[in-house]
Amino acid sequence: MKKHLTLIGLFMVFAFSLTMFSGCAEKKAVVKDEAIQEQKVAPTQTAPVVVTDDEAARRAKEQADREAALKAQAAKDRAARNAAALNDLNIQNIYFDYNKSSVRPDAREILKSNADIFTKNSAAKIVVEGYCDERGTAEYNMALGERRAQEAKQYLINLGISASRLETISYGKERPANEAHNEAAWAQNRRAQFLLK
Amino acid sequence: MGNKHTFKLLTLFIFILIGILHNTALAKVYIDIDAPGFQQFPLAVCDFQNKKTGALPSDEFSTAIADNIRHYLDLSGIFNILDKKSFLEGVEPGTPETIRFSDWSVIGADFLLRGDMIIAGQNDVIVESRLYDVTRGQMLFNKKYLDKTGDLPAFARAIAADILLALTGDEGDFNTKIAFVIKKNARSDIYTMNYNASDMINLTNHQNIVAAPRWSPDGQYLAFTSYKSGRPAVYLQNLKTGKEKTVSSFPGLNLCGSFSPDSKKLLLTLSKDNNEEIYVLDIDTMTLKRLTHSYSIDVSPAWSPCGKKIAFVSNRSGSPQIFLMDTDGNNVKRITFEGNYNTSPSWSPRGGRIAYEGLINHKYQIFSVDEEGNNLIQLTFDDADNEYPSWSPSGRQIVFSSRQGSKSRISIMNANGLNMRVLKENKDHLVMPSWSPRFK
Repeated sequence: MKKHLTLIGLFMVFAFSLTMFSGCAEKKAVVKDEAIQEQKVAPTQTAPVVVTDDEAARRAKEQADREAALKAQAAKDRAARNAAALNDLNIQNIYFDYNKSSVRPDAREILKSNADIFTKNSAAKIVVEGYCDERGTAEYNMALGERRAQEAKQYLINLGISASRLETISYGKERPANEAHNEAAWAQNRRAQFLLK
Repeated sequence: MGNKHTFKLLTLFIFILIGILHNTALAKVYIDIDAPGFQQFPLAVCDFQNKKTGALPSDEFSTAIADNIRHYLDLSGIFNILDKKSFLEGVEPGTPETIRFSDWSVIGADFLLRGDMIIAGQNDVIVESRLYDVTRGQMLFNKKYLDKTGDLPAFARAIAADILLALTGDEGDFNTKIAFVIKKNARSDIYTMNYNASDMINLTNHQNIVAAPRWSPDGQYLAFTSYKSGRPAVYLQNLKTGKEKTVSSFPGLNLCGSFSPDSKKLLLTLSKDNNEEIYVLDIDTMTLKRLTHSYSIDVSPAWSPCGKKIAFVSNRSGSPQIFLMDTDGNNVKRITFEGNYNTSPSWSPRGGRIAYEGLINHKYQIFSVDEEGNNLIQLTFDDADNEYPSWSPSGRQIVFSSRQGSKSRISIMNANGLNMRVLKENKDHLVMPSWSPRFK
């Protein structure tokens, strides 16, 4: 990837330097120093090619930009579709008490309703994601987030979801749902999320 | 790549050893800086003299080298570097006989450093430095250093290390680096810098959650946790080649712990057996052994310098606390009892004490405690959150990160909490500093 970028960079610098030359030195533009690079980029050495190279670079860039934009749009659409699908399925997050990983009574009902959805979509794997609020050590919170995901996973197993469909991942305190630094935000951030895939 | 200075240092070697390096200085500690009544050494560092006229690297080189030495010694936290404006005696080249020691003691200097620049050959620079005990009117050492590249900071580090060695019996932390994580939103990467905050280098380009950088004691590797594959995994980067390899990517959590003193084993926190437990990985054979068996969080293992014990964090008693165990997982013993959130243990290289962060009055502060859980000392008291302590190889200093509002810093302090100095300050999050071993 890096190499690729360097090549593109080299190419662009080269194309630019050629235009400079064609501006001030006319057809003597192709100097010995650049002969090696010249071969890499373009088979012929006359001045008009220089212009073509420049255009080619521009076209290539436009093409790349277009593709990138399309890709980004596709990713956005996909994310939106997934979010919509999740909404349709009505999978809900569960929340935890400060520094605790045990499943709260209010979370049990949610897990039951989530388990029903998972049972109906029996082909899908379930990723249980554990999160923490911003207080405390990053490392300890990664462990705590994992603990939360594990507890939720175990609860789902007890409700009859096959362990082989479940995997866990902890994001510790690194991905808050609410960036604010107050009690309300922290309560929203101490959570487990469920992702079907 | 990260070891640029190691190589430079290799090229810098002691040329001649004139004079006599005080035998007693090597054999025993000249002054015990750990004594309770220790005051900083008052030291006068004279600008170096050009002994021969000729093509020096630059005219400023001889004053710049003295400035560099002052800067490094100041960073060590145990010197009171006297202002050169207060010097009474001129700085003409002088032999021990011509030094008027009374002129130095009257301005409060207990020690005096003088030096010369000498040119040998086309590009060779020789720096000669002499350290004097002003009170006793004695020369402590007289040493020459040769470097073909004229690398000024390397000269200064070598001279500063010799001064510390002569006075304390330990060469200090001058030839060390600090690895740390810079966090921009949810993207982080590992950087290293020299002990004086110079030469910052970007070590990883993962642009993801990256955590817990740990140096191997032999200085060859850096281990860390990264989510670059989308899941947490532990990586080992060869610091010479820059090559990275995955050493642990089990289902669930994979968190980097610390290396064994022989650099052959790595402690990990894994949740592959459905619960966070501490494991030890033999790096050559890739064999894994589980050390903890508790239905609770066990995390952040740190190997003792003697290799016999492991400190770790567990919430088995309800809240996160620091525990010790033998390297086979037996003899688990809790050592922190104050407060209900104690994490990030780091073991002093000189043994005996463990630094950690604890929650007190709604702030995280650095503490240290001995292996028995006694003699607890609070080291930081300011209005910031002070976190992630890591000891220097000399065991005399601790690096840590602090957060206060939007400010984020990497700072160092003496192991007793005094003399705090900011190494780096930033609006991004600077976290998880880790002090390297000494590079030779």
